[in-house]
Amino acid sequence: MKSIRITALIGILTLGVCMSTSVQAKIFPYEYQTGSLENGLHYILIPMDTPELVSYYSVVRTGSRDEYEPGHSGFAHLFEHMMFRGTKNYPGDVYDKMITEIGADANAYTTDDYTCYHLNFTAQDLDTVMLLESDRFQNLDYAKQEFQTETGAVYGEYRKGRTNPWSVLFEEIYDLAYDVHTYQHTTIGFEEDIKAMPTMYDYSKSFFNRYYRPENIVILIVGDIDTSKTVSMLKNYYGDWKPGYAKPIIKPEPEQQEARAKEVTYNGRTLPILDVAYKGPAFSGTKKDYAALELLGDLAFGETSDLYKQLVIKEQKVQFIQPEFGMNRDPNLLHIFAMIKDKQDIPYVRDLIYKTLEQYKSEPVDSQKLQDLQSRQRYGFLMNLNSPDRVAGNLARFIALTGGIKVVDQYYGTLSEISPEDIQQMADKYFVKAHRNVIILEGEQGS
Amino acid sequence: MKKRHALTIFGIILIALQFISCGGPKVSEDNAVLLPVENDPTISFRLWFKVGSQNDPSGKEGLAYITANMISDAATTNRSYEQILEELYPLAAHINSQAYIEQTIIAGRVHKDKLDKYYNLLTDVVLHPAFKEDDLQRIKSEVLNYLENSLRYSNDEELGKSALYNFVYDGTPYGHIPEGAVESVQSITVDDVRDFYTKFYTRDNVVIGLGGGFNPSLVSRLQEDLGQLPATEVDNANPSIDYKPIHGKQIKIVEKDANATAISIGFPIDLTRENRDWYALALANSWFGEHRNSSSHLYDVIREKRGLNYGDYSYIERFPNGGHRTMPPQNVALRQQMFEIWIRPVPNETRMFSLRSALRELDKLVDNGLSKEDFELTQNFYSKYVLHYAPTTMARLGYALDDKFYGVDGSHLEKLRTIIPDLTREEVNAAIKKYLQTDNMKIAIVTNNAEEMKMAMVNDTPSPISYGTPKSDMVYAEDQQIEKYPLNIEAEDVTIVPVDSMFQR
Repeated sequence: MKSIRITALIGILTLGVCMSTSVQAKIFPYEYQTGSLENGLHYILIPMDTPELVSYYSVVRTGSRDEYEPGHSGFAHLFEHMMFRGTKNYPGDVYDKMITEIGADANAYTTDDYTCYHLNFTAQDLDTVMLLESDRFQNLDYAKQEFQTETGAVYGEYRKGRTNPWSVLFEEIYDLAYDVHTYQHTTIGFEEDIKAMPTMYDYSKSFFNRYYRPENIVILIVGDIDTSKTVSMLKNYYGDWKPGYAKPIIKPEPEQQEARAKEVTYNGRTLPILDVAYKGPAFSGTKKDYAALELLGDLAFGETSDLYKQLVIKEQKVQFIQPEFGMNRDPNLLHIFAMIKDKQDIPYVRDLIYKTLEQYKSEPVDSQKLQDLQSRQRYGFLMNLNSPDRVAGNLARFIALTGGIKVVDQYYGTLSEISPEDIQQMADKYFVKAHRNVIILEGEQGS
Repeated sequence: MKKRHALTIFGIILIALQFISCGGPKVSEDNAVLLPVENDPTISFRLWFKVGSQNDPSGKEGLAYITANMISDAATTNRSYEQILEELYPLAAHINSQAYIEQTIIAGRVHKDKLDKYYNLLTDVVLHPAFKEDDLQRIKSEVLNYLENSLRYSNDEELGKSALYNFVYDGTPYGHIPEGAVESVQSITVDDVRDFYTKFYTRDNVVIGLGGGFNPSLVSRLQEDLGQLPATEVDNANPSIDYKPIHGKQIKIVEKDANATAISIGFPIDLTRENRDWYALALANSWFGEHRNSSSHLYDVIREKRGLNYGDYSYIERFPNGGHRTMPPQNVALRQQMFEIWIRPVPNETRMFSLRSALRELDKLVDNGLSKEDFELTQNFYSKYVLHYAPTTMARLGYALDDKFYGVDGSHLEKLRTIIPDLTREEVNAAIKKYLQTDNMKIAIVTNNAEEMKMAMVNDTPSPISYGTPKSDMVYAEDQQIEKYPLNIEAEDVTIVPVDSMFQR
């Protein structure tokens, strides 16, 4: 335990030196152990000096992206619900009671690219947790009636979401920007598919059998653990799980040929929201594209950008402006959001966003500003690794996209190598008018 | 997994440092809470000013909140706001403010490597705020957008809770949400902010909270630097909270075009953390409605068995922003707390049934207490679950400041882990009887067709329920009890207000 802590400390404290002497320096400050069982289940174990606390993440590398069959969107998210229904060995109420007895903080979430089941608990309960988690992933069992009840709850969740302008905006922009790829629907799914879910009990079984397989899942355990004992436990609990993962057949999105725009009405009150979204690259830890764009987003539209100073602080025409560049398995959208105080200013703000992007194509960014941002990204990442849950939470997406943890060092290495010229080149490559999608959302009841 | 001494469970050692006098004015050594954490490469700051929305002058509701933001998110006399953002940027650090009813916190966390730069910025914003007109306009616009658009129209859960808080404490210094009201916020001027700052951001009204890998010299440096704050004595810092006693069930319906109904129920309880009863009631509350936890009994009845909504919880301490956090917040401490039930939005057609269901469960809790089995299960659960309340130094520092607020003898986090396993079922059930009841309470409801709901409540009209999917016989049998559970609500105790009038003045 002690040696790991020292490594962690040195890793963080020498950061300044690393950045100036070696662009390839590792960023991830903790020692870890990885491996795979014969059935393909991959595990990552990260001991931390956090007395008693352990985080246990089961990262299923299936999200709404994998819902490729027409009429069947929303099933990845539905399983986030179904997984709490239990098995013949430990039915839902027994599972709940056992999790309650150990005082675990248990939850789950679903995204476009993955589904994540996570628990925080005390170290002495690792065996109980692994027993229950391995059981429900291998032996999930639910009756038609339970399935139908849960689909009703999901439809309720959809309706609740529609009361938020951002849910409406996301649904519209992805539907506008994608014609073929499954990113066309958001994680919760198309409304008509959710409505039809209660009739799809049999399909749900096939969804589970294809995707909830050891080859498609990574177990990440962080905190007060003994790695060798944990590996033996993993073999014991997950060793008999049969492989059988079937890859989804996802059609790539053809190149967008011309700019698209849509005006959307939200049934409620909100300040107008503008979303300018370009087709971006898939995430990669080693290629420069995503890393350069991530930096560009912050430089051009972040809190210290010229545009933020102009629109938020000086002119005060927008409530906020913010970039959100999707870190995804397949090419996703590079969003620039702005909430605008007066709807008369929408064209003004939109045109300033276009102008800013053109400027990044024609001029290299200030190298000092770029270095400041690179420093910020690294320190920001490190500072967030301050509890087992935070470490696991920050790694989950990296693991889901690539299947492993090595990508973290690769990505931050790539990020630190990005030059002003790289950013200029990526601006030119990706901020193309024909690849642009714009949504203007206004409240039906004004603002 | 070796057993570790209880003191190190949270990795905290609270120490009292002896300070060397250097002559100039400084913050008193009693006003420092220190949590050194060996090997933590970061330093956590929480500067607690003993001021909040309870100190807002009448007609200027929102002033404490806006003043805090004018410190954390605006220019100083040395730096423009843009400059502050530029300088914070490479540090990956922020200066945050949190102004609640009794406490205001200016907080941030920085890596040791960047301490000096961060320290200069943090002390600059606290000591030399510029209070510029354009910063005030920007911040006011954000607050107004929150009140007029977000709260009224796109977050019915928070709307219902805010309506309840204002309703329960109507006419007292707790009787408005920290963000204030539209007209009062509009009226706030730079002079108001400056006066408020001068009055409350004083040398003797600040408590320094420091956590993580700091050097002891940082403490004296901060004491001396914050010693530059004016020495003015704060007048009426803790105004009395003379809430009107509640007689019967008093209802406020916030009417809006909504397809789901949010319900919040509450009444004041005279109990805070310094009392052992608090821990007994906390255990009972954990069984009844632990926040965002499916082990909650209310959750089981309303969400799990019947699928009426997303979650149902209860509280014995204020829990702002519950939709966005899973564990309790720190530094929202209050001298006067309330018991609260939060029913997340249910379909309108089940609103009466859901309300009845929550009240009936509370009634059963008060009458029967916890069964032996439920008591033992919750005792096991809660004594371990609290470990997740504060996994980081920043959170533990927040708890340590709250210990000072409440006058907790020792550490609340440790007490949770020692007192909870020590409680008896009799103590817990006695605390339920002593502090909880179902006769006198206020209920805030956000819904449509308010008049129809009012009549249904006043007439105690039965509210049968049907489901899209089959349920167990036990559920159907219980539904028959719930649908006619008597509400005992008088017509004169129900008021209906349009959503646009909420938080207006």
